[in-house]
Amino acid sequence: MIAGKGFSSRWMIFLIVAVILFVYPLVLRNPFYVHLFIMIFFYSFLALAWNVIGGFAGQLSLGHTVFYGIGAYTSTLLFIQLGISPWIGMIVGGVLALLTSVVIGYPCFRLRGPFFAMSTLALGEVFRILATFYRDLTQGSMGISIPVKFSWKNYIFEEKAVYYYIILIFMAAAIGVSYWIQSSRFGSNLVALREDEEAAASLGINIPRNKLLAMMISAFLTAIGGSFSAQYIMFIDPDAEFSLGLSLLMAILAIFGGIGTVWGPVIGAALLIPLQEFLRAWLGSSLHGLHLFIYGGLLIVVVTFLPHGILDWVKAWGRKAFPSIFPLPALKKPAEPRPDHFLSWSWLGKMGQGDRTLMDIKDLTKNFGGLAAIHDISLRVEKGEILGLIGPNGAGKTTLFNVISGFYRPDGGRIFYRGEDISHLHSPHLICHRGVGRTFQLVKPFQNVTVLENVMAGTFLRAKTLPAAQEDALEALEFVDLYHKRDTLAKSLTISDRKRMELARALATRPQILLLDEFMAGLNPKETEEAIALIRKIREHGITVLIIEHIMQAVMSLSDRIVILHHGEKIGEGTPREVAVDEKVIRAYLGEEYVIARSGEN
Amino acid sequence: MGEEGFMIETILQVIVNGLLLGGIYALIAIGLTLIFGVVRIINFAQGEFLMIGMFATFWIFSLLKIDPYIALFIFTPLLFLLGLATERLIIKPILNAPPIAQIFSTFGLSIVLQNGALMLWKSDYRSIETTYSNAMIKWIGLLINVPRLVAFLVAVFIVILLYLFLQRTYLGKAMKAVAQDREAAQLMGVDIHKIYMLAFALGIGLEGLAGALIMPIYSTYPTAGFTFALIAFVVVVLGGLGNMIGAFFGGLIIGLVESLSGFFISPELNTAIYFVIFVLVLIIRPSGLLGIVGGEEMGLK
Repeated sequence: MIAGKGFSSRWMIFLIVAVILFVYPLVLRNPFYVHLFIMIFFYSFLALAWNVIGGFAGQLSLGHTVFYGIGAYTSTLLFIQLGISPWIGMIVGGVLALLTSVVIGYPCFRLRGPFFAMSTLALGEVFRILATFYRDLTQGSMGISIPVKFSWKNYIFEEKAVYYYIILIFMAAAIGVSYWIQSSRFGSNLVALREDEEAAASLGINIPRNKLLAMMISAFLTAIGGSFSAQYIMFIDPDAEFSLGLSLLMAILAIFGGIGTVWGPVIGAALLIPLQEFLRAWLGSSLHGLHLFIYGGLLIVVVTFLPHGILDWVKAWGRKAFPSIFPLPALKKPAEPRPDHFLSWSWLGKMGQGDRTLMDIKDLTKNFGGLAAIHDISLRVEKGEILGLIGPNGAGKTTLFNVISGFYRPDGGRIFYRGEDISHLHSPHLICHRGVGRTFQLVKPFQNVTVLENVMAGTFLRAKTLPAAQEDALEALEFVDLYHKRDTLAKSLTISDRKRMELARALATRPQILLLDEFMAGLNPKETEEAIALIRKIREHGITVLIIEHIMQAVMSLSDRIVILHHGEKIGEGTPREVAVDEKVIRAYLGEEYVIARSGEN
Repeated sequence: MGEEGFMIETILQVIVNGLLLGGIYALIAIGLTLIFGVVRIINFAQGEFLMIGMFATFWIFSLLKIDPYIALFIFTPLLFLLGLATERLIIKPILNAPPIAQIFSTFGLSIVLQNGALMLWKSDYRSIETTYSNAMIKWIGLLINVPRLVAFLVAVFIVILLYLFLQRTYLGKAMKAVAQDREAAQLMGVDIHKIYMLAFALGIGLEGLAGALIMPIYSTYPTAGFTFALIAFVVVVLGGLGNMIGAFFGGLIIGLVESLSGFFISPELNTAIYFVIFVLVLIIRPSGLLGIVGGEEMGLK
């Protein structure tokens, strides 16, 4: 019941804070302190907006002032030129920013890490220069003053307190959006693609669409921040609205508090913004730059030593000191185990009984720069069998997997899966949707999230709600015997546990066929035994297994049939017994001399 | 001479100006590309070291009347030492960190140095007036500014010197090996941390050299370095990340683009034009115009 108590005391704190924030400007009428809080809420709001794409989705944008500036200029220009209320202008600006984010995001999302950051930074500068250059529209570096005409319709108020409540509501809304993201399939998708794009795609996650959606939400919110700032300061100019410094500050606040969390950006703003406001009030312009000097220093320290931010660090400390306020996330074990529920194929509709062939691969070819990695491979996978795929290193086994699962586009041939040609899809997430699951030769765990969250990234493909996804994931974990490790961070698992987790994650997508790429590599003999038993259990549940394996003993005892690849071509096929005496196989594995020596013996 | 002849002469002058400008950009970009190529970190604070070099040259000239061309022999080694210290304190802890740390740590350093300079020296533009600041050589009707020519020639010299260093010396070969494959180089007995320190310090030292060389031409102010660094990023991406020769030609191209677009379109749009080029190159041809390694490991496709 400790968890329950923690929950209620948390709500109490939340309520008290909400009441204090509500009465604050009514009690304390000192304009500086009202302004201070407006600034905290405002920067929290911007950092929360940035955090959607920068934190949850891990795309480190340094050009968010593009959206901010679009928001500020749109609402201001519509108001001044056409007399349209800034409230409407704000929405128009948000939509414009959203459209711009698609135009920017679509090409730039191909870039990763620092290159995405650099290209967004460059685009921010381009917008600043254009806003300065097109004077007719923007009045250039002169800037635009908004005429002081107090009214609700004009979004201009004499009382600072009104701005205070407006931005407080905006911030609360942004926190709400962040909460929704965190507890939804969308958020799970973002975290998955942030941690590993290939693994995410193999779980049926549409990478470009999720990134774009995150960018659109982020851009829309940022533009609203831009409009608010214009209405509050009542002056805009290109250097302020498209300032690189502001782009950076949004990121800094989120990183400082805790990137990719709901409260991190708020904490970051609440800790850092007072510093800049107080310094400005005390020192005027005499030590201009001091607050940024401090921010820069803190930024170096935080990203180097506390990469998960202050909030994470405080929580870890707080869990020891005040367990009731910082409870560990409590999970209840599913009341009634529904052992096979998560493996059910209800998503598939009625399965045809007639045809026994699940996958039919015809003349498949894949070249890399003139070299055929696989050449004219044809094979059939029967429903419910375990098909072993063997061959020396470089035989093309993993390439074949990558073509089947949509990571590579084939250069020739077809793949029919349940009668449908899937070779033209060239899209891992679509292939996963159809019921093809896979694991990777080098395991690809989502390092910085828990085992449960890893598997939930898979169950969300079919589950509609968070509780359903969680329940299915727990069952999948129980299936692979990792239930007890559900709250462990993936990066601290042993290699054997990582493999099991990846298996659970692939199973979580409820595949009809599972491609296992060297599942037993790196396991000790006991773990190998367990793995063999696990794969048998998967087959017993009706899942067809296609397995690449180097450990001969394992593959011989597991497989119903075996296909041998050599230099990208299929050189043999048959039951384990047949394959073991096939001369071509022995030649491929042991060399010509061995065959000659053996025939000499006979 | 007819109007046409005059026009051709003007355009030739614009091209010469562009090439000379490009030499300066190349000079600034070489340090950045060296650091990226070897240490595999994009140093967002690169421009701030240039700014430090410029301010140092400004002060030593204003206070002690030491000529920039003499000052460069002082500040190149001093910035080299500053580079050594920076590598130890800031870069080493993030060598294997995720992108967020690698990006924002050097950005943090950039913010610290920029605002440190702002507090110390205010945001005024400061320049020095040497006897040769506006000296011109006349050559077949073209005017060539002497300090710019010097900077250009030094850039050529540095590229050749670095090239020879990487091809001929043991240390240079070790550096190239680390750039190509750090694990393999380590297995071959190369002390990769020493190489990182050396490469980083060299890259920073070159900014000291560049700072002294451009001080007779440009003013300095706290964000002067960042402005140049943004151009250097464009140059480096254009030439192929980590490619010394590429940086040189990338510099020339950007210099020409700036000069020509300034003449034909509008000088105000210069930055916008090469940033658009920058984004296009990143997206369409991430290995740079000369197409050399580098991008793959950083996660470029």
